[in-house]
Parts: sequence; structure tokens; C-alpha cells
Amino acid sequence: MAEVKVKKEANLSDPAEVENRIRELCQQFPHGITDQVIQNDMPHLEPQQRAMAINKLLSLGQLDLLRNSTGLLYRMKDTQSTSKMKGSDNQEKLVYQIIEDAGNKGIWSRDIRFKSNLPLTEINKILKNLESKKLIKAVKSVAASKKKVYMLYNLQPDRSVTGGAWYSDQDFESEFVEVLNQQCFKFLQSKAEVARDSKQSPMVQRNSSFATSHEVWKYICELGISKVDLSMDDIETILNTLIYDGKVEMTVIAAKEGTVGSVDGQMKLYRGVNPILQPTGLVRTPCGLCPVFDDCHEGGEISPSNCIYMTEWLDF
Amino acid sequence: MTAQEVRLCGLLLREHFGDVVERVGTHLLKGGAQNLRTIIHETGISLDLIKKSLCVLVQHRICTFSAGRKGPGSPTEYRTSCDHILRILRYPRYIYSAKTLYGDTGELIIEELLQRGEMTMSSIVKTVADRLTQNMEEGRSMDYSEVSSAFSKLVETHFLQRCPPVAGAGTKESATPANTDKPAAPANTAPPTAESFPDCYKVPHVTLIGRGKRQLSPEDGEDQRNAKKAKMDIETHGDEGIHWQVNFERFHLHFRDQAIISAVANKLDQTSSEIVRTMLRMSEVTTPPTATYTKPLSANEIFRSLPTSYSIPRPILDQYLTLLVDDPMEFVGKAGESGGGMYVVNLHRALANLARATLESVVQERFGSRSARIFRLLLRKRHLEQKQVEDFAMIPAKEAKDMLYTLLSQNLVQLQEIPKTPDYAPSRTFYLYTVNQLPTARMLLQNCYKTVANLIDRRLFETKDSKRLLEKSQRIEAILASLQASGAEPEQLTEVEEMITAPEKQQLETLRLHINKLDSAENQVDETIFILESYVNSTATAAS
Repeated sequence: MAEVKVKKEANLSDPAEVENRIRELCQQFPHGITDQVIQNDMPHLEPQQRAMAINKLLSLGQLDLLRNSTGLLYRMKDTQSTSKMKGSDNQEKLVYQIIEDAGNKGIWSRDIRFKSNLPLTEINKILKNLESKKLIKAVKSVAASKKKVYMLYNLQPDRSVTGGAWYSDQDFESEFVEVLNQQCFKFLQSKAEVARDSKQSPMVQRNSSFATSHEVWKYICELGISKVDLSMDDIETILNTLIYDGKVEMTVIAAKEGTVGSVDGQMKLYRGVNPILQPTGLVRTPCGLCPVFDDCHEGGEISPSNCIYMTEWLDF
Repeated sequence: MTAQEVRLCGLLLREHFGDVVERVGTHLLKGGAQNLRTIIHETGISLDLIKKSLCVLVQHRICTFSAGRKGPGSPTEYRTSCDHILRILRYPRYIYSAKTLYGDTGELIIEELLQRGEMTMSSIVKTVADRLTQNMEEGRSMDYSEVSSAFSKLVETHFLQRCPPVAGAGTKESATPANTDKPAAPANTAPPTAESFPDCYKVPHVTLIGRGKRQLSPEDGEDQRNAKKAKMDIETHGDEGIHWQVNFERFHLHFRDQAIISAVANKLDQTSSEIVRTMLRMSEVTTPPTATYTKPLSANEIFRSLPTSYSIPRPILDQYLTLLVDDPMEFVGKAGESGGGMYVVNLHRALANLARATLESVVQERFGSRSARIFRLLLRKRHLEQKQVEDFAMIPAKEAKDMLYTLLSQNLVQLQEIPKTPDYAPSRTFYLYTVNQLPTARMLLQNCYKTVANLIDRRLFETKDSKRLLEKSQRIEAILASLQASGAEPEQLTEVEEMITAPEKQQLETLRLHINKLDSAENQVDETIFILESYVNSTATAAS
């Protein structure tokens, strides 16, 4: 052991050796190493030399400099990405790095400009370059149709960018949502009807009219009306719109751990309900629906006596 | 009191009591409490007519009078309020529900009382018996005792009550309990309510023997009838001076209960609604009219009071009660565990829910189900930003924006600004949409008043349009009737009938259809008015 140590210390003056050693350390700790780790490993190394070695590695693009809560962190760069970046200049690397950091949320070209301090024309050139190399891709965001965001080529865009299952080509598929909305309601309604016809005790009737979101999800999947894969969450959003339509009620019950369709020991139950009122009397008159109600006065241009809506309604 | 209400009140007064009463009534509505001299001066109607119309209004409890505000000796002041006049709109409903509860006799009793304002029991019984006899087959007649028993039933269930003795003219005994019962109400400003008199539901002993008389045919001679009338007037029945009136509040409570029961029947099922009906019936007399919820009832009591035709076993009843309590509408609440569980009907909560459903229904019918979705969403989540509304309701941004702004412009949805900086810069401000149920209900109530006024206006217009035709048909009917009575030939009758041509007949038929449609629409809107009014009133009592 002592021999090895001696050998190492002897070689320490050689910058190449130091670099190799740091590389080895980085491979040992794939999550990254701090300055302290390097210092402990090579206690006799001058801070200056250490800095020089690290700087060299950084400029070669072999090391990554990260910042976490405790301080700076060095990490080995993916050999893959370095190989991809072969033949790219520093500016290109920088832009690539910024895009990589943005993850699957993507980043807007203006934000790249702020982060990199490069002129916009330059950035556009680099972006085009990277795109042609299939390193990055441009995705249109649903939030603003004109806004393009960039992310790495192999990433699946985040839901906030694509809008999830409800968007195709940045367009909200309201028809799709309506169809799903109706289908879910049909399912819950038929379930409630079966429960009502079962002639069991009222408690059992009520309980059997409930369906878990998992059941609804399975039903929708089996119907095959959706081209895209819908998740349980997607179905729950649809069911929520039914709640806002006043057609469905939801309760949450505690479920046994591991039951199908339970989330955090809870299960969401939905059931179709009837409205408590028929359309109220006011809206059964033409005045209840009249678009010029506020302008209507006896003796005025619009008045109950010469009202065309009223005439149509009376002759109906 | 708004312009819409005053307009509607004016129309109602004119329809029922004529032009002069309308002028006096609306003047009182607009001007507040006034003495006779002011009314004469400002309306320019002769003293005699004003006195008569005030009499009519007082008789129908639309107008009240009290000693002047300037202390003893100052002239009597007259005042009226919209609520009392708007009750005229509900007369058909009072009469109809009396019919469903107590049959034809009940219907006629209420009808007579509503038409005349107040009457003594003996005269009501006589009139109603006579009218019933008239509609019966030849040779049969209605016994007075049957009518009086129906009358007593109406009094027992508080649908009728004695008129409070006139302030000042009342005896000492009846005045003192009124003061002890309601010490807070100063005798001068608020007239004592009928409820505050101890024997307001006591039926006096009336000696009425006899049967309803058929109206004699005209040829019997006028003098004979007049003689009979005079003789009848002299008879005494032992209830002189005790006048009866319709207890509108009781009817309103009945309507409220009906609304709750039908809501439960719609939401859950028939059996649950029967249980709620039983609960409401049991607490009818024990619960004060403005209570937030009924007196607690134990499951045992409910079980015993259920109608026997509904053979619900006890465990099933418990299940139904649990279901009712669990329901998110919360019509029924649980007050305790004793006696097999104590249950109450949440009256105010139920009214609020009914009012909310009414608002939702208005939005749904007027702006479509998607706008209703947004409306309900805002009702549930209180405050939401535009983006959140789009996401929750799953409506494309463009359409959602359109709907929100439309709702906002109709005042169904409100906008709340919350600036991050004091300069209210739009980019640094949250815009939260919200729905305020109470103000919205108030606004819709005003719309309802305007709608009813419009319908009445239209009805008057339609009748005025074909006035000549109506008069003609009336004349011909009269001729026909007299011809029939004198035993004319059938050819003669058809000849007279043909005086109305076919197109005229058609026109009369369509007119009849139109009037019927407008009338039924008025009643339907009144149902909405009732729910919204009760809700607004219930919030007022809850706050105080």
C-alpha cells in the first residue's frame, strides 16, 4: 500500500496524471465529487495545480460543473454526448448545455439568448445546426401557439408543453373531450340504473351505483374510442367535468393498500345523479331567454306588445 | 322596492281592483306612508274615490294604517308594501293547493276569502254551500255542517286565521297579550301580526243549520228574493265581529315543504321523499316559520308516523335516513344519536340548494350547458383565474373566454382584481372570477318581476286587440242563454250561433290559447319567484 502511495505522490507533479486521477474519482462517484474529495485524495497537490487540471478537463468538455446546496460539484460528462458534440465549437456546446438543462419542459430561444449572452442571429444559426444533426428538436407549445421551445431530440415533451392527451397539433380536441364526457356519463348512468332495478335494500342500491375511476378508465379503454393512451388522471379530469355539469357526484373512500385503482390508500367513487329541479319557470318563458331583455320597456321600440319572440312562442 | 316591482304591483292592482285603486296603490308604494290629505293633494283624485279605494286595499290587507308618526293626534297614515300586493300573483296557487288538500270545499272557501279579503265564518259557509249546491245535480244540496267542518280543518292546520282586532278599536284584553308577546315591536309603526293573538286559531261556536240554497231562477220574482235576503241578514249566528283571513305565511310554508319534497323525490327516490314529507308534517306545528331547521325528530318517532300504506321496515328506514344525511345536498341532517338517531330537515340549506339549482338552470337554458359548467365550477371552487377555468372545465381557451365574458356582462359572474403591486398594472394583477349566489339570486328575482309584468302586458294587449270580437261573442252567448231558457227552437239557436263566422271563431280560439299560455307562464314564473324570495328571506333571517 505504501508503495502505491509513494508512487502516486511521485507522479503528482505531472498534470496529466492529476487529470487521470480526477477522472478515475469521477467514475467512482457517478453522482459527482466535490472539491473536498479531490483534496482528500491528493492532499499534497497545490490548489493551483488542482485548479489548472480541473479547468483543462472542463474546457475539454470531459467534466461538468454543477452547483448544489453544499457547493460546487464535478461530474463526468456523458461520453455519449461528448461524442455527439464532436466537431462543435464552444458556442454550440454552450447552447446544447442550456437546452439540456431545460429538460423535457423545453426552452424558448429568447431565454437561450439571455442565458448564453450570444446574439440572436448566432443562436438561430446554432439551433438550426443542432437540429440538422438531430441533437435537439423544436416543439410547439400549447400555451402560446407561436412559441417554439427546444429540447433534446430523444426527450418526450412534458404535458404542460403538449397539453397531454387532449391536444393534437396544439389544438384542443374539444370534440374528443365531449365524446369521452358523454361516454363516461353513459357508463355511470347505466350503472345507476342497474342498481336501481336490482330491488335491493337502499344502502346496497346506492353503493352499487358507485363506480371507481379505475372501472371507468377500463371501460373507456375497452371501448377503444381513444387513439391515444389515456391515463387514470385523464379520466378523472373528464369525470370532474361531469361533476361540474351537475350530473355526477364524487366521494372518496379509504381503500385497502394494493386494491386496484387506489391511490395513496384512497379510492375515488363516482355515481350518476338526477338533477333536483326541472328547468325553472323563468326560462320557460321567452323573457327568460331574451337577448334584449334589458332594453325592453312598455311603449318603447322593444316592448312586450310587439315582441316577436313572444308572438312566435304564442303561435308555437 | 324596485321599479320592476312597482310596475308589476301596478299591473296587478289594475287587473283586480281597477284604475283608481291602481293609482292610489302605486302612489302609496312610491311615496311611502302618507295621510289622506297628501294622497288627495298629490294624486288629484276626489276624496270619495280615494276613501273607497283605501277601503278596498285595507279590506284585502294590502294597505295598513296607523296613527301618524308625529305623535298622538296627528292624522292617520296609510302605507302599503310590495310583498302584500305580489301575493295577488300567487292566488291561483293558493286556491289550487287548497283544492288538492281539502277538495272542492276547501278550494271554494279559499277562493271566496281571497276575493273578499275577510269574512265571517257564517257568511263563508253559506256562500260556499250555495255555490256547491248550484253545481250539484237537481234535488241535492250541500249541508252547512260539511262546509263548516272543512272550514274548521283549514283553521286547525292554520291555513286560515282570525283577523287581528283593529288597533284602537280592539278590546283591552286582546291588546295586552299582543304587547307582551311582541314587546320589541312598537305598536305605532308595525301593525300587530295575527299570530300574536292567543285565540287566532280558535273556531267560534257557530249555530248554522240548513243546506245550501240553489239560486232561484229569474222568473221567481225579485221582491221575493229580496225579502228572503233581508230575513237572512237579520239572523245571527253567534260569530259577528270575528272575521277570518287567509294565512299566507302558512301557505308559503306549505309551498316550501312541497318544493323540498319534490326536490328529494327528483334527486333520490319516492320513498325518501315520503320520509321527508313525514318529517316535515310532524314538525309543521312545532317549528317556527323562520327556523333554520326543524325540531329534531328521533328515528322512532318518524317510524311511527310514517303512513301505513308505506310499509317500510325499521332497518330500511334507518338506511334511508343515513342515505339522506349522506347526500351532498344535505336536505336532512343528523342532530344526535339518542332515540335511534335524531334527524332534522335543513330548511335553509334546502332553500339555498334549490335557489342554486334555479340559478344553474337559468344559466344552462340561456347560455348552454358549457356555460353552466363554468358557472357550477365557479360556484364550487369560489375563486378561479381564467386559465384555471379553462383547464378544469376542459373547454378550449377561446370559447371559455367568450363564455366567461358573456356571463360577466350579464352580471352572473363577478370579477375580483387582486394586484400584486399597488399600481394595478394588468400584468401584475390576478383576475379572479367568482359567483355570488345571493346578489345573483336577487338580480334574477328582479328579472322574474319584469318577466311577469311583461306577460301581463302582453295579455292585456292581446285582449285589447280583439276586444270587439270578445264583446260580440259575449253578446251572442247571452242571447243564446236567454233563448235556451225561453225554450226556443233549435233552428233559431243555430241561426244565432252562426252570427260568429268561422274565421272569427278561429281567432277566438287562438286568443284563448294565447291567454291560457300566458296565464300558465305567469304561474310558472311565480314558482321561480317563490323559491328565490324564500331563499333571499331565509338569508335575511339567518343574518339577523
